[in-house]
Amino acid sequence: MKKRLLVATLLIFCAVMAFSAGKDNGAPTSASSPPTAGAAVVNQEHDSLRLEGEQRFRTNCGRCHQPPHKFPPRMMATIIRHMRVRAMLTDEDMKAILAYMTE
Amino acid sequence: MAVFVFMATASVAAQDDKVEPVPVLSGGMAFVPTVVGGQTTLTSVVAPVLLIPLGDKWLVESRVTFEGDFERQGGTGPFVGPVEKEVDYAEVDYVANRYVTITAGRFLTPFGIYNERLYPVWVRDLQTEPLILPMEESSSNGLMLRGGIPLAKDLVVNYAAFYSALSTAAYLESDRGVGGRVGVFLPHQRVEAGFSFIHKTQDEGGNFYGAHFEWQPRRVPFDLRAEYADSFNGRGYWIEPALRFSSIQHLPVLTRRTQIVGRIQQFFPNGILSDDELPSVKTTRSEFGLNYYLADGWRAVASMGRDFSSAGNQNVWTVGMTYRFAFPLGRGGLR
Repeated sequence: MKKRLLVATLLIFCAVMAFSAGKDNGAPTSASSPPTAGAAVVNQEHDSLRLEGEQRFRTNCGRCHQPPHKFPPRMMATIIRHMRVRAMLTDEDMKAILAYMTE
Repeated sequence: MAVFVFMATASVAAQDDKVEPVPVLSGGMAFVPTVVGGQTTLTSVVAPVLLIPLGDKWLVESRVTFEGDFERQGGTGPFVGPVEKEVDYAEVDYVANRYVTITAGRFLTPFGIYNERLYPVWVRDLQTEPLILPMEESSSNGLMLRGGIPLAKDLVVNYAAFYSALSTAAYLESDRGVGGRVGVFLPHQRVEAGFSFIHKTQDEGGNFYGAHFEWQPRRVPFDLRAEYADSFNGRGYWIEPALRFSSIQHLPVLTRRTQIVGRIQQFFPNGILSDDELPSVKTTRSEFGLNYYLADGWRAVASMGRDFSSAGNQNVWTVGMTYRFAFPLGRGGLR
């Protein structure tokens, strides 16, 4: 009886160890998943900012301008600073519109 | 020392993440023959805008307008006329914080919306200027504070306050005075309403009052703009609706590039005018225009209208082209 109990205990121990090892072996796999999730979050934030920027462009810039072809980022950074002064854009408007116009 | 090195390193690292702005040469051009009461004027405008960013918070900007109004010599001769030059603005802007920008130099007078926002030939929907535009003043020399303050999610207050000194220098004329503008903008409704005020402290002095309104519904590419101005010279208003067919999907592509514009305006003088650019008698003008957006920056424009006044009724016609240009100055500007 003691033998059976000992064998059963050993089997359970081995099973637990094997399960733990399996979990450990899987750790690298799960460790590689955070970047994927992070990338998805970054993409979501990027899409959100782009959408926000487009809306703010239509709301603010669209009052006087038709949507233009987009300019290179370094030009746009200057033009948005000019429009911040001219059209009295808020800080948030400027950042969102710049992100939209330079994506 | 270590702290300084750390801050400098952090600053460089932060700058690496940002897009570095480059100087830009932009502006507009127009060739718009105009016929007023049977007299043709070939109006040509070139207005380059120079933008020079300095650091994170500074901007030097300037616009110079060259305008030639050429008329037939003796009624039947060749088209001749002067080319007028004007420095519209040459200013230094400093973004002090999220809510305040300090402007020094020569700047567009913040009175109403036409002078500051709609005046460039490639922006305005009708090439003829509103009758009350001379009341808005064009430029001032001095100091200005301006900015936009989001008071709530759907409420932005924008403001501008300025002091201007007297200048009689060629191309840089300005009057002495103080003034400003306050506007309330509802981003969700896309509605703005505001008031302007100027108190002149030279010559005959006097106060100028203005009001403006803008509305752009979200679902339709429709603009409604209006302005009112009042001073010792008189008072007047304009109302300008414009509709672009861009969002009407079942129309042909060619039609979707078209915009129709209308404008009704009146001016009521107060006795003897001190500004000879304003109508000397009560005048009503109604106009209808058609704009066609050929490509980015290029636009064909045409309008017809009629003046009604005791000085005689007359037709006002325009037809022409406008163009907006922009290109970087300096290395790496196309990146």
